[in-house]
Amino acid sequence: MSDPDRVNLAFIWDTTSPHFSRRTFMRTMAFASAAGFAAACGSSAKTGGGATTTLGNTPTTPHTFSSAVEAKTLNFYNWTDYIASDTIPNFQKTTGIKVTYDNYSSNDALFAKLSSGSTGYDIIVPTDATLVKMKHASLVQPLDLSLIPNVKNLDPRFRDAAYDPGNQYSIPWQWGTTGIGFDKSKVGGAVTDWDAFELPAVKGKSSFLDEARDAFAMALFALKKDPNSTNDADLDAAKDYLIALKKKVKQITSDYQDPLKGGELLMAQAYSGDVFTIQADNAKIEYVIPTSGAFSWVDSMAIPKGAKHPKNACEFMNYILEPKVGAALTNFVNYGSPNKAAEKYINKDILDNPLIYPPADVLAKLPFQKDIGDAELKYSDRWTEVKTA
Amino acid sequence: MSTTQADRPPESAVDDSPVAVTTTRRRLPGWLSGNLLLLPTSVWFFFLLVIPTLLVVAYSLGGRTVASPIKFSWGNLIWSNYKTALNPRFLPIFWRSIWYAAVSTIACVLLGFPIAYWIARFGGRLRNVYLVLVIIPFLTSYLIRMYAWQFILQRDGLLNSVLGTIGLGRGHEFLNTDFAVILGLTYGFLPFMILPLYASIERMDPSLVEASYDLGHGKASTLFRVIIPTVAPGLIAGILLVFIPAVGDFVTPELLGGVNTQMFGNTVYDQFNSGNNWPLGSAMSVLLMVFILAGVFVYLRRVGEEAL
Repeated sequence: MSDPDRVNLAFIWDTTSPHFSRRTFMRTMAFASAAGFAAACGSSAKTGGGATTTLGNTPTTPHTFSSAVEAKTLNFYNWTDYIASDTIPNFQKTTGIKVTYDNYSSNDALFAKLSSGSTGYDIIVPTDATLVKMKHASLVQPLDLSLIPNVKNLDPRFRDAAYDPGNQYSIPWQWGTTGIGFDKSKVGGAVTDWDAFELPAVKGKSSFLDEARDAFAMALFALKKDPNSTNDADLDAAKDYLIALKKKVKQITSDYQDPLKGGELLMAQAYSGDVFTIQADNAKIEYVIPTSGAFSWVDSMAIPKGAKHPKNACEFMNYILEPKVGAALTNFVNYGSPNKAAEKYINKDILDNPLIYPPADVLAKLPFQKDIGDAELKYSDRWTEVKTA
Repeated sequence: MSTTQADRPPESAVDDSPVAVTTTRRRLPGWLSGNLLLLPTSVWFFFLLVIPTLLVVAYSLGGRTVASPIKFSWGNLIWSNYKTALNPRFLPIFWRSIWYAAVSTIACVLLGFPIAYWIARFGGRLRNVYLVLVIIPFLTSYLIRMYAWQFILQRDGLLNSVLGTIGLGRGHEFLNTDFAVILGLTYGFLPFMILPLYASIERMDPSLVEASYDLGHGKASTLFRVIIPTVAPGLIAGILLVFIPAVGDFVTPELLGGVNTQMFGNTVYDQFNSGNNWPLGSAMSVLLMVFILAGVFVYLRRVGEEAL
């Protein structure tokens, strides 16, 4: 087991498997989260003797880790198909830390697993909105940035992002946008902005995401409002927009990949990476970043609370931020890299793709989803109204 | 349990037996063994039914924050969750659930009754084989069967290509409609109708049907005045077994439905996920539970509990 080239089987399976979407199994995994709920019921039953039962709300730990020497192992939990073939072997060679690599295919599955108790993982890669949820639920711990000097290599945009200012909890892995995927052969080239959902060609054949913040952001962008707005009037306007839009779409779903690929849906609010994956099978499917703006999403490495090897985790994060390592990762998975210093090693066709590396004027309209704290409830309540309208 | 104690004769004879030294076949008193037999079931029901149900009731009186979707405290019971759950905004979804479940239940009766009757009366030696055929879909996960329906009903699916081949045109929209959800529910719950009906029909004395004909009843009259009253317990059990899970279902509309097929179960489910409001979801569950219990109570009173 000390052979640095030797990695867990899941890793080998991962890089040789045909590309299928990270979110394909979303729905199935939703049931896993239901199971997580059942587990939560069980655990609170055990502690139910007290007068008050509060779930998942414990104070955070300090920023530096204990000085104890850690075993030379690292348990890494990442999305499927989301790493270069040499990323882990090279890390094992240079550091002697043995990496166990496991995969998940949805944020819901990851969240359910983490909230059901100690998982043994040292690094997870949640998407920004899920990271914020995990921060609120105290499921992740702050990083020791003194162990990650390469953080200076990050694009300044990711140093102080709205979802995690100052990289207190996370180091970005890859990023993309939440725009529109559509079938060019049937819809034509007229798709440039969110109002494309009004096109007669897609009436009753489109979908938007079953995620409150993403759906509201679409409405707020279309209404030229702040996509992170917490203003009641803005949110009510966005709610009315979505309720009206609901009459023109076929589904509200995050499982749009297969229907879009197969022609069941002609247009969908979609994550850029998913659409690029679909393109590999169906070249007629196109992706656009809407001109009035869209959210950027970021998958970021974070350390779960109670992880046994937080220092190894920081060492791995620092390794990923090395220019050549970050570039190799992006060249393999074809998403945008948050690593500015890596850009000189990234393939030219990726850097020249405006959908992966948008020009500055477009980039200015791609904000991050902000951690809006308690105002999140304003979104969820209105989302219930949209879904039950 | 007190009656079993009285039924049992004293067991003193066993103690006097010479072999009792090694084997000690001393029996427990009746009341104790009765309770002991009930113990595993009681523990099971207590931990997996009573406690979770009480938790749901407790949660329905809790509050929530962004950090935790449920915050329960005895000092601060929040009754307004029920007011929110009773908001007329949810009524159309509630009626839709009842409507879907009712149509599916009727479809299950219409499909299940002839199948059960045929297997019980004319199944002959192969009866058990037919019953196994009815049960076989259960060997596959419900989710997978619903995904299979997606493939059958979708635009390029099996149904459209068959219709196209026989000249009825392709490209019909079957998936994401009311029809798809009701079809899924009917398909999924049909065995729950067939099995109790079969048990009742199989127990029915066939000479009753002959007697009915002899006494001048026609076919329809025999069906409604002899067969159905005789198999009523199976029919009632089947209707309850189909209607109750169907009205609370959320998987079928999630997978086969579209933007306007949300059922009450989906709304509850959403409160535990994107809605981030466990108290409201719990209050809705409690209301649905109360409504169904009341409905079943009235139904059994009307249809006659002696039939069960």
